[in-house]
Amino acid sequence: MTAPHVIARHDAESSAQSSWWTSVNPIARLGAAFAIALCLVLTIDWVSAATALALELALLPFLGIRPAQFWRRTWPVWLAAPLTGLTIVLYGETSGRVWFEFLFARVSDGSISLGVATMLRVLAIALPSVVLFIGVDTTRLADGLAQIVRLPARFVLGALAGLRLVGLLVEDWRSLELARRARGVGDTGRLRRLAGQAFSLLVIAIRRGSRLATAMEARAFGSSKERSWARPSTLGSRDVTVMLLGFLVGILSIASSLLAGTWNFIAS
Amino acid sequence: MTTQSIRPTRSLRWRVVDIVVASVIGVACGVLFVVWNVADNVIGDPLKALLPGLQGLSHGMWLIAGVLTAIIIRKPGAALYGELLAAVVSAVVGNQWGWLTLVSGLTQGLGAELVFAIFAYANFRLIPALLAGAASGLTMAITDLVLWYAGAGATFSTVYTIASIVGGVLLAGLLAWLLAKALARTGVLDRFAAGREVKAAV
Repeated sequence: MTAPHVIARHDAESSAQSSWWTSVNPIARLGAAFAIALCLVLTIDWVSAATALALELALLPFLGIRPAQFWRRTWPVWLAAPLTGLTIVLYGETSGRVWFEFLFARVSDGSISLGVATMLRVLAIALPSVVLFIGVDTTRLADGLAQIVRLPARFVLGALAGLRLVGLLVEDWRSLELARRARGVGDTGRLRRLAGQAFSLLVIAIRRGSRLATAMEARAFGSSKERSWARPSTLGSRDVTVMLLGFLVGILSIASSLLAGTWNFIAS
Repeated sequence: MTTQSIRPTRSLRWRVVDIVVASVIGVACGVLFVVWNVADNVIGDPLKALLPGLQGLSHGMWLIAGVLTAIIIRKPGAALYGELLAAVVSAVVGNQWGWLTLVSGLTQGLGAELVFAIFAYANFRLIPALLAGAASGLTMAITDLVLWYAGAGATFSTVYTIASIVGGVLLAGLLAWLLAKALARTGVLDRFAAGREVKAAV
């Protein structure tokens, strides 16, 4: 959870991936993940979810993600999907034969099939969303958000500056711990100590942020002059391909469920 | 109360210090989310899968970034910015939602933002904070019901929505308000109206 650890892991992730994939703009990955989600979110049926999942797993090897890394990042999804399915089996819309009833829970033919569809749907939506995020570099993401998505540059760069403080905060956390030990406070009551120490850390962080703001302003950050970019961020043909593939996965899933007649719009 | 006549006029433009401190708050909340992601989801999920929607209560913790940023910074867009940035941090460290964390951050932030906009960005006291937490809970519930619980029956949807709103009021609204007050008392918010207000009252 500590920042140096996160950053180190981040670097390891980037270097572990095949070179063409690391060069894909984070905005293209965002576009692909959103395209898949946008299509799949419209319907809840097992055909569209299974089709999407199959296509995604077929495309996965091309990203060059090592299996160990894949499982380390996606295991919460594999855990959450059947549990969400279970929730729907218990509390999904009832139809057909009712098998079991307890308080609010009602397991029926309809809720079981919805539960299965939910499990596949969660996997089909969340897996690409998580996998496409593996190894995203925050600096490149910020560059893309400001230059391609055209979010206000002051905010994007301010956010990036805030993210960079995380490393310092970890050091602050250690000093706070040492200081508290030296003063002989907080040796008992672990939760209470954690809460107090977290608050102190927030105070330090805001104080540092205020100082950082002065320093940034002194270097003309936030002036009305037009900004130039040290790291240009553009979308190339490779990036467009990635986004189109994401869109294709979504469209093919919708088409498959329409063809199979299982299309089930969520609002109906 | 005599100081009211020399009260500076309110500006809705973001200063650099507003942006940077909002970023710091957003990032700090993001780190809190990361801890909550593990504690609430990975540990709590197996149990919560059996609940008829009450899991929304604890999800309120994910809404604190928007309300806290808004009541400290007091600028248009602060709730949206804080919540979205916290979502980015949560996704960067690695969670079970990836890019879709940003969608959640966006809708949750918009919910809180809407309430402060209705108050014309002129009132950041307890009541708007609680309402912002509630609105944020509502938008979170809608997003979750569409993205993850699409097949849920009416009972689950209703319970989940109400639980999310209650969770938002308590864990986001009330907690953020208490936190902002405590921060103001330390003097660290002296460059913000939120901090000067408390000092003036003493």
